[in-house]
Amino acid sequence: MFCVSSWCKFLSLVLLVAVLAACGDLTDDLLPDSDDKRAAVSAGTTGYMPGQLAADFTVSTSNETSFQLADHLSAGSAPADVVVLYFTMWCPICLAHSDHLYNVVIPQFAGRGTVVYGLVDYVSGSVSASRASELANGYAGSEFVTLVDSEHVLMDQFNGAMGTVVVIDADGTILMNEGYRNGAALIDILEQQLP
Amino acid sequence: MKNIMIVNSLKAVLAMGTAFGFTSSAWAASCCGGGSASSLVLPKFSQAMVDVSVDFENYDGFWKGDGSWSPDPTGSDLNQYRLNLGYAYRLAPRWQASISVPYVWNKNQYPSFSRNTNGLGDTKVSIWYEQFDKVACVWKVKKWQDLIPAVYWGGTLTLPTGTSQYNDVADNFDITGLGMYRLDANVLLDKTVYPWNMSFSANYGKYLERSVNREYGTYVEPYDAQRGDRFNSSLSFGYTHFTEEMQSLTGTLAYAYLQEDEARVDGAIDTTSGLRKRSASATLAWASEDRNWVAKLTWNHALDREGWGENFPTTDVITVGVSHVLR
Repeated sequence: MFCVSSWCKFLSLVLLVAVLAACGDLTDDLLPDSDDKRAAVSAGTTGYMPGQLAADFTVSTSNETSFQLADHLSAGSAPADVVVLYFTMWCPICLAHSDHLYNVVIPQFAGRGTVVYGLVDYVSGSVSASRASELANGYAGSEFVTLVDSEHVLMDQFNGAMGTVVVIDADGTILMNEGYRNGAALIDILEQQLP
Repeated sequence: MKNIMIVNSLKAVLAMGTAFGFTSSAWAASCCGGGSASSLVLPKFSQAMVDVSVDFENYDGFWKGDGSWSPDPTGSDLNQYRLNLGYAYRLAPRWQASISVPYVWNKNQYPSFSRNTNGLGDTKVSIWYEQFDKVACVWKVKKWQDLIPAVYWGGTLTLPTGTSQYNDVADNFDITGLGMYRLDANVLLDKTVYPWNMSFSANYGKYLERSVNREYGTYVEPYDAQRGDRFNSSLSFGYTHFTEEMQSLTGTLAYAYLQEDEARVDGAIDTTSGLRKRSASATLAWASEDRNWVAKLTWNHALDREGWGENFPTTDVITVGVSHVLR
């Protein structure tokens, strides 16, 4: 037997959920926006957006050494053509990305200039814990430099999150700051930047 | 600068994991009432049902893409709690509809920080067709027709009402939803020959492509994202004990399989995506003598053995639920 009042309750519940979900930013998913809303940036300014200069930073590595960005810029003691930073929390997605970096990207550009591949560990909280995660996931002795971001210096500086990849050229200009996705954008940039 | 935009949209959620639909919730009832089905379905001839359950999910490592298992970082304690509100309503003798709304709490602790966030999860709206007129539960098999199971055909629309990586969020710890619509085709077979019960369910889901212009609060060059097709199925066996007052206590063991294909953006495949998970669960359900009240306790466990999953967290989920059937 069809029950009008109960059916109305069901519809009301559906509508209530829709109204609740329509509050605030949730409409971003219910009604996705395809407009390009990236803010224009001025060359030479410091920030986290592509086109801006990356501020210098110093963090520890999992090997108990110090890593300073300036050392790897053109005027530094160990200059690189580009510095690649990947934000990891040692999760399934993170490992899928860093394995792709390790097995596909790094071999593809081996011998073409100098690239620093940094894994930014923003969850382990200490050098020893970061080293343990690095070992547990098979990166001991790899090309990766694991940067221990215990104080979230890099996370805050680059507005990083799980899976964020940041590429900085030898002049300190940020070329890329977005999700790793399948690595295609990173490969495209390295193709352009490396000799 | 030429950016090739290819996304793996499923990824963002999985790490801190929202397990929406990945685990078997303690749904209310089977076609006979009393409860063993793997979906929110009404018992035959009942008019409506309210279902409330709470999931306590604890993360304990994960399978990597090659199927090997890896522990979570030392000192981490990762949890998600979900309050699931469900309502099912009979539209016609063979038709019923349901809605399920989760509210999600993420509670994650790492050595360097901890984060507690919460928000509405993704909502599911379903419609079911029952391919049977009589209750398919029998006490004794007298003829071959007594072996015919109750068959349900269903469709489910998942609405992205949760907070996803595409919203204005600080990072992945704020996520409570996947951010994409999904359409599922469902089939559910349920057969009870008291005191034994067996059920099988299978779902095939297709995500709808969407535009993305923001990731974790940062605007990016717009692109189109689509997660891979999803298939999941479960098989369960149960045994029911009746008290002298005809209350029932049903124990059920289930095995579930989940697979999701690789994601696409702008039509290009993301080879780092895709997932697979196998899990087992045990459920204990009590039903009142009139079958109008059902209380359930479920433990779902993902085996942290190599080859039992890919690209996915291994978790334990304890679900406590109660449902009330309105005749």
